[in-house]
Amino acid sequence: MDENKVAEALKNKFGEKILKIMIPKKGEEIAKDLVIPEIMEIKVSKRRVFVAVPAEVYKEVIRYLVEELGFNHVQAITGLDTSKFIEVMPHLGRGITVTVKTRIERDKPVLSTITDMVPGASLHEREIHDLLGVVFEGHPNLDRIIVPEGWPENVYPLRKEYAPEQPKPLREVS
Amino acid sequence: MQEEELQRAEKKSAYELFFDIPLGPQHPALKEPAFFKFKVEGERVIGVDADVSYNHRGIEKALEYRNYIQNIYLIERICGICNVAHTLCYAQAIEQLHGKEIPPRASYIRLMIEELARIHSHALWLGVAAHEIGFDTLFMYVWRDREVVMDIIEMLTGNRVTTAINTIGGVRRDISDEAKEKVRKGMNILEERVKYYRKVALNDPTVNARCSGVGILRPRDAIRLCAVGPTLRASGVKNDVRLDDPYTFHDEVPLNVITCDTMDVLGRVVVRVDEMLESVNMVRYCLDHMPSGDVKIKLPLSPPVGEAVSRVEAPRGELIHYARSNGTKNPERYKVRTPTFENIPSVADMLTSKGDHDVNIADIPIVLASIDPCFSCTARMEFRDVSKGKTWIWSLEELKTHCKNRG
Repeated sequence: MDENKVAEALKNKFGEKILKIMIPKKGEEIAKDLVIPEIMEIKVSKRRVFVAVPAEVYKEVIRYLVEELGFNHVQAITGLDTSKFIEVMPHLGRGITVTVKTRIERDKPVLSTITDMVPGASLHEREIHDLLGVVFEGHPNLDRIIVPEGWPENVYPLRKEYAPEQPKPLREVS
Repeated sequence: MQEEELQRAEKKSAYELFFDIPLGPQHPALKEPAFFKFKVEGERVIGVDADVSYNHRGIEKALEYRNYIQNIYLIERICGICNVAHTLCYAQAIEQLHGKEIPPRASYIRLMIEELARIHSHALWLGVAAHEIGFDTLFMYVWRDREVVMDIIEMLTGNRVTTAINTIGGVRRDISDEAKEKVRKGMNILEERVKYYRKVALNDPTVNARCSGVGILRPRDAIRLCAVGPTLRASGVKNDVRLDDPYTFHDEVPLNVITCDTMDVLGRVVVRVDEMLESVNMVRYCLDHMPSGDVKIKLPLSPPVGEAVSRVEAPRGELIHYARSNGTKNPERYKVRTPTFENIPSVADMLTSKGDHDVNIADIPIVLASIDPCFSCTARMEFRDVSKGKTWIWSLEELKTHCKNRG
């Protein structure tokens, strides 16, 4: 199965529900006036498919990819704060990488879990919960794993407003 | 383990109590400090909880505050042993953002250094595994021979470990003809030695007794839990990023993906030893077929707006980086997912007794080591008898003595 077939299968199955499918080709320039402006031009990569979906069909699309098309390996889940929205992007597959991009509200970051389909996604979702504050509904155990014990509630280090401590000189130079 | 399940098991068990054994965060069988809580019934491990956060250094956040050139050196320091894989993956991601391809000679040099690093990583692991099972002679021999490849890496890149060879747009050093000859000689020595270790791994009774049938990971579970790298291949699943998603020149250089269907620690030893032989052949192929030309192209400091997913088969398994650029000199977001993180659910599965396959406390170090996690050196282990509220500490040596006596 090559990347065009994946894109076609997704289009046939979901049609209008999918916002945008993109297969980066060499030399291809992609306009920036997209539904999701954060999908932007990529030029050289092979075997990559980017699919932008609204949060309501996120789980359906993943289920279709995992159970029907055999993308049953979660390489990683990237979480990203665009300072307006939070984007969650699972990268699926072992050969071709399908990146499903979805965005959720920053004030109410709730998304359904995919651990019931791929148990290996568990740690990735916990990581995003920890660093960006996304709540994955239906996840069996959303304890904090990355930040140290005693970390304050509602402080999420990968959000844009969190500024890390900058190194200071050990002593003042007069 | 679920509470009810546990209670049911407790009723059936001949033991009155189950114990919790914490292992970590600091333990020599773990590379990044990780914490495992084992539930044991006598000597049998029946459940495990993992916590992997102890070495989180905030590198992903730090990358957003540095420019693309500074980030090469920060990325390189994510992991000492896999530094080549990390810089390669990073350089590929940034080149994808630029939309440029690097010269073929640079690709060949990258591939060659990557395979040399794989040999050194697997040799290091083989020594460590031998040490964990109490076979220190093998450990000494393997690490002696690992010096051959370390010297080659030092000659080619200028550094033994942190190579700093990959950069955005190519590699930083060319290879001379004399250096090629020296690499060829080194490969001959390594091939002979690795073949000998293969014989040892397959025939030695010590290795067999400690590794065979231990740490079973069934193929279905391996796929379900998203295992990667040699851990997955030792469960009989033919999967390798170099084959499925070729980068550099992996579609030209012949590659034989090694799998083993024994599903146990011995399988992981065999897969890694055979991969070392495969890497020796790939290095030789690169030396013979290396095209001439430049080794670097110059790229602007800031890539255009865009995003990229880059994958590399690191010695421990699939490594993935995701980059998003916003057109400025700092990246908008950079995500790194390392193979050890992906293999943690699998190692938790390996460490749980299932069916006819018991996992004993004595097997814990070698099973943990079998996914090749990296190292952290302060060593102690706490044992807690819950019923009596008594706690005692075993030093690493005491634990090892215990393991060796059992084994």
